[in-house]
Amino acid sequence: MMSKTVYVCCGTGCLANNSMEVYKELKRLIEKYEVDAEVKTTVKATGCNGLCEKGPLVKIQPDDICYRKVKAKDAEEIVTKTLLNGEIIDRLLIFDITKGKKVTSHRDTDFYKSQKKIALRNIGEIDPANIDDYIERGGYEALRKMLSQMAPEEVISEIEKSGLRGRGGGGFPTGRKWRQCDSIDSYPKYIICNGDEGDPGAFMDRSIMEGDPNTVIEGMTICAYSIKSNNGFIYIRDEYSLALKNMDAAIRQAKERGFLGKNIMGSGFDFDIQIVRGGGAFVCGESTALMQSIEGNVGEPRAKYIHSVEKGLWGQPTVLNNVETWANVPEIIFKGSEWFNSIGTDTSKGTKVFSLVGKVKNTGLVEIPMGTTLRELVFKIGGGIIGNKKFKAVQSGGPSGGCIPESLLDLPVDFDTLKKAGSMMGSGGIIVMDERTCMVDVARYYLDFLSEESCGKCVACREGIKRMLEILTDICSGKGTVEDLVLLEDLCHTVGEASLCGLGKTAPNPVLTTLKYFRDEYLAHINEKRCPAGVCPIKEVRA
Amino acid sequence: MKITIDGIVCEAQKGEMLLQIARRNNIFIPTLCHSDALPGLGSCRLCMAEVMDRGRRSVVASCIYPVKGEIEVFTHSDKIKSIRRNLLMLLYARAPEDETINKLRKEYGVPDNIRFSGDIEEHCILCGLCVKACEELGSSAISTINRGVTKKVATPYDEPSSQCIGCGACAYVCPTNAIKIEENDGERTIWNKTFQLVRCERCGKPFATREQLEYSNKKLGTDCGEALCEVCKKAVVGEKLKDIYERTT
Repeated sequence: MMSKTVYVCCGTGCLANNSMEVYKELKRLIEKYEVDAEVKTTVKATGCNGLCEKGPLVKIQPDDICYRKVKAKDAEEIVTKTLLNGEIIDRLLIFDITKGKKVTSHRDTDFYKSQKKIALRNIGEIDPANIDDYIERGGYEALRKMLSQMAPEEVISEIEKSGLRGRGGGGFPTGRKWRQCDSIDSYPKYIICNGDEGDPGAFMDRSIMEGDPNTVIEGMTICAYSIKSNNGFIYIRDEYSLALKNMDAAIRQAKERGFLGKNIMGSGFDFDIQIVRGGGAFVCGESTALMQSIEGNVGEPRAKYIHSVEKGLWGQPTVLNNVETWANVPEIIFKGSEWFNSIGTDTSKGTKVFSLVGKVKNTGLVEIPMGTTLRELVFKIGGGIIGNKKFKAVQSGGPSGGCIPESLLDLPVDFDTLKKAGSMMGSGGIIVMDERTCMVDVARYYLDFLSEESCGKCVACREGIKRMLEILTDICSGKGTVEDLVLLEDLCHTVGEASLCGLGKTAPNPVLTTLKYFRDEYLAHINEKRCPAGVCPIKEVRA
Repeated sequence: MKITIDGIVCEAQKGEMLLQIARRNNIFIPTLCHSDALPGLGSCRLCMAEVMDRGRRSVVASCIYPVKGEIEVFTHSDKIKSIRRNLLMLLYARAPEDETINKLRKEYGVPDNIRFSGDIEEHCILCGLCVKACEELGSSAISTINRGVTKKVATPYDEPSSQCIGCGACAYVCPTNAIKIEENDGERTIWNKTFQLVRCERCGKPFATREQLEYSNKKLGTDCGEALCEVCKKAVVGEKLKDIYERTT
């Protein structure tokens, strides 16, 4: 008997478009029509498929058919036509913009074709609530390989050789971090997964935790074995209820199967993971503030003159990596460092997951090799600007990042090139802006966000951002002066140099990059009392 | 180990804080959030200094920067002066009428007519010394609450705290006298809580709260005997010493 699987995307974007109803309806109808009599059919609710713009997405395997914007009322047709008769429903197919025609398989679209999935390898392909799905796709094989063949020291070397750098923003070499922590002779040691994704418009880590929680658990367990740690924490912001639910279920199932807990896979090695829920403070995504928060203190960062690998959680050696970094680890151990090292650029290896949002046609979750150009990301994968408006800038790296203009669109994206351009990789939020976006207003927006989300501990960040915001608000309402610009830039330098943690040190980036690349817009607001994009409500001053 | 601060060679222990080394060598670095009795906070940022370490120059907060190697330090470079000026401008904007801030502001040449305005009633610069003192003494009655621009120091829900013993250590360490203690008719009011003051058994002056004396007795594990004010305590000790001296000679 033939067997078919229907995958209904139940990532956050699709859920918001009622994909759960589609899932239930398909399940009901498959039973009603006794589809199983002819083909064995299973319906699975999966994590995010990426193409959120076209959701809810329904995929049928092995036929490789992908339907977009499916509603519950389409379920009947899908069951009777496609599942029972193998007919393709034309109106539900994805229209590929660049090809100018409809395509049956999602793999044929430009959105998916340019992508390379490592961290997202299972997402959309498995039911995250079922560990068997993960195991079926090679899950926990890396753990098995490591426990049976590798010494802890070899694991660290392998990660070092792979060139993996932290996906949370800073891009610190992951292997070096593990090595440093391993070299400190003080126990217990802790492993932390930072799932406190807080950048506006970013949902990479969320999608991984929701769609493939086991890969995070496997990655953390591999690290724990290599640095001899027995305790791990996953810090998830409380707003991510589905991530919390799926992660909790995954930890439970992994323990039942012996991939976690006491005597993992009979090796004698113990490792346990606990979930800690964050209270929604952006600053708690900063590693030292996050650790304070786990300890039950006010989430304020400390200076990093002594690194967390030496004195982290409860003053003990700690390795903290973000969700995406952990998701890369099992694949590196399984396929080897050489394979990973062959992907990407000289200084940044592997892929990077981005949440592509803003004024692009295809918004969603994408994973591309390091070194892909911004142009390819925006115009090929993203399908270009909505309504064919003119492109203006991409904002990368969240509030700590900057705005990159059209002249730099051919920049190959990696940790170092973005930094050079005045922005940063950050955790991977990419917001595309068109000609109707006012860049002064964008800078004002981010500083407004940061003025509320700064922990408020140090003067430079708390008071500096507040006053920079005052200046920007004045400029946006037509009350700015040329002297204000001088003061604004001066404050940018002080806040960047004198702030205690990364939040403050990078807070001036949105201002500095817009001043660098879009200074004329600032000047138009100040000298001509005019907002070129027509966003800022400047009252016309008549002479 | 030797380090150089502003051209002066200083002896240093590994792990010692830069500020401590500078002060021992009479090199002045301004601070607001520092107390020798408490661990460094690094919140006021006035003690920023430039450090040259193996060819790499960086800006650090000297009160919490542990010296690990033979570094060269600049505490008054142009960059540092400019940072301090801006920080003092920001502090002045926050607490425009505060005496301590104004004194420092003038020292660093920040004009009194700046672009920003602030609340003339505000004196707190949120350095966190009060919270740290309260925590170190074991009460933890106050904490910083909220974040960003709405951050402030308070007791839980701004209500009188059951943990507060009215000792006033928070006000004692405050660099800008922002914490108000009111004392009259044998009562002390602090953090919305009023305490009865115990009178000195010798001179009759009200000097400490009952909770404070009970707390120190409990912490020391012994009854301290007579409740005496600072002045009388000194007098008693003096008399005892005189007595011993006369008996032994």
